[in-house]
Amino acid sequence: MLTCESLCKYYQSPKGMVKSLDEINLSVSKGEFLEVRGHSGSGKTTLLLTLGAMMHPTHGKVVFKGTDLYRLNRAKRARVRSSSIGFVFQMFHLIPYLDVVGNVLAGDDGNHSGARSKSEALLQELGLGHRLNHLPNQLSAGEKQRVALARAMVASPDLILADEPTGNLDPENSKEVCRHLKRYQEKGGTVIVVTHGDAVHDFANRTIDLKAGEIISGPLVDHQAGDA
Amino acid sequence: MLPLILREISFRKGHTTIMLCGLISVTALMTAYLSTESAAERETKRVARDLGFNLRILPKQTDMDLYWFQGFSNQTMPEATVERLANYQGVFMTYNHLMASLRQKITMGGGDVILVGVAPTITSPDKKKRPMGFTIKSRTLHLGYQVGQRLGLKSGDTLQLSGHDFKIEKVMVEYGTEEDVYVYGTLKDVQGIAGKPGQINEIKAIDCLCLTADQDPISILRKELEKILPEARVIQDRVQADARARQRQMVQRKFEFLSPFLMVCGAIWVAVLSALNVRERRSEIGIWRALGKGGGFIAGLVIGKAMIIGFFAGFIGFWVGNSMALEVGPSIFQITAKAIKTEWSYLVWSLILTPLLAAAASFIPAMLAVTQDPAETLRES
Ligand SMILES: Nc1ncnc2c1ncn2[C@@H]1O[C@H](COP(=O)(O)OP(=O)(O)OP(=O)(O)O)[C@@H](O)[C@H]1O
Ligand SMILES: [Mg+2]
Repeated sequence: MLTCESLCKYYQSPKGMVKSLDEINLSVSKGEFLEVRGHSGSGKTTLLLTLGAMMHPTHGKVVFKGTDLYRLNRAKRARVRSSSIGFVFQMFHLIPYLDVVGNVLAGDDGNHSGARSKSEALLQELGLGHRLNHLPNQLSAGEKQRVALARAMVASPDLILADEPTGNLDPENSKEVCRHLKRYQEKGGTVIVVTHGDAVHDFANRTIDLKAGEIISGPLVDHQAGDA
Repeated sequence: MLPLILREISFRKGHTTIMLCGLISVTALMTAYLSTESAAERETKRVARDLGFNLRILPKQTDMDLYWFQGFSNQTMPEATVERLANYQGVFMTYNHLMASLRQKITMGGGDVILVGVAPTITSPDKKKRPMGFTIKSRTLHLGYQVGQRLGLKSGDTLQLSGHDFKIEKVMVEYGTEEDVYVYGTLKDVQGIAGKPGQINEIKAIDCLCLTADQDPISILRKELEKILPEARVIQDRVQADARARQRQMVQRKFEFLSPFLMVCGAIWVAVLSALNVRERRSEIGIWRALGKGGGFIAGLVIGKAMIIGFFAGFIGFWVGNSMALEVGPSIFQITAKAIKTEWSYLVWSLILTPLLAAAASFIPAMLAVTQDPAETLRES
């Protein structure tokens, strides 16, 4: 479903070229839960944003559902994001002036009717039924991340990309977030989580390691899953 | 998008208030300045044209040919007419004073004189100027120069008229006008002499300004006065030039820089605040991008906010400015309070221009928001 070929992202900095991503080849199948591990600065976020149609690679290509993402124009790429990709971040990035439901609705791509009831049902499922009209600053970190999860899921994307989703959470909340991601995957979704911890490890069905922008271990293709 | 903007506006109350206050100040000052200025301009125009614009109000049936030949009306009207005019609360005219008189030709010492009975001058309630001219005591007369010469009288002498003794209060200096053959007395005395008690045949309204008219004040005054004084007709006295008008225009020139200056201040205010707002919302903008929203949406959030605040500022600013103009305008500019009025067209302009100014000023911040690299903000942890 998602493949990338010789994906490179270089930054020109005063101290020379920084290779954030260096010749990454990767293939992710539908229904996979992929964990990408790496130390700080290894290029995890860069990889995630590049796979998520948010950041132009220096070269290489990303093919998502048969479309070369960076051959699309900006507007079309934005449409792919809104309809097919959900993001979850370490810092939650909730919109501070919208209540819980409003934040989840922000993730709706406008293509489904009954978005509000769907949001509320989703929040109910995530254990936030009693928090629907609270503002983000009234929530705990774990609750915030579950709102972010609901936002990422509300448009029923094919792919959820999570950048250290448990980075600001205690072990209990981390597990809960992972469980929700797992459930999403089990219903047919595809999940890629980048992390430097191992909270996600038990939930993933494939793990690759990243170092200095290169994949140093782990299968590049999931051999158990079918399509690519 | 509108609900989003409104939520953000009410969420960041401090920011909203500061931006709102800035724009209100600009709109209010502009409204106040422009409406006093336009009042001043209206009045300047009027003053330049109308000052010294004196009216003569005569009985309706007056034979005008005869009037111009002999210098007084052959008809009379009730004395109460002048009170009616003085008490009329209409806003179409101001005057400095009203002088009612009864004028009559009589023969005195083998020649004709015009006997003028003068009622005490009525001063306009909103003018503090003292009445000009002189006051006449009962049973006394002021003789025109020519009359005094002819009769060989001087002040202190006595004169008999209709069987009553009148003391000559003074003989006036030579004016070189028809006044040299006038004899002035009190209205009461002259009414007695002429046998026309309670009657007058002329009212002079001095220093009139027509407040409604931008064109042809006299025809408007005529129409209005005919409504309240059906028994009268109005003619206009000679026009005098006025230097004060020019002086007023100079005062206005001094403030001409004000409007552009205020607009620039307002624009800078909005631009800076919008830019700060965009900075504060970097993460939000990043997430909107990740959620697939385009540049138009992002720009709309910033410009839309400025415009909505601008709209409210336009509304409030107009009211504040208008009240300021009505309250303090007359004391800052030398204009009569009656000339300042609520300029409703400025409300429309405020509601259009303040949002536009805000939109224009927030354009650069909006572009900063649009061009901001969302990946940068989203990578920050
Ligand atoms: N704009 C930039 N200019 C120069 N170098 C950059 C820029 N953005 C990222 N980098 C570099 O690219 C590398 C990868 O960054 P990235 O954010 O992907 O790391 P990461 O694995 O997500 O780290 P962390 O675990 O700390 O989030 C880092 O060495 C970083 O310094
Ligand atoms: Mg990172």
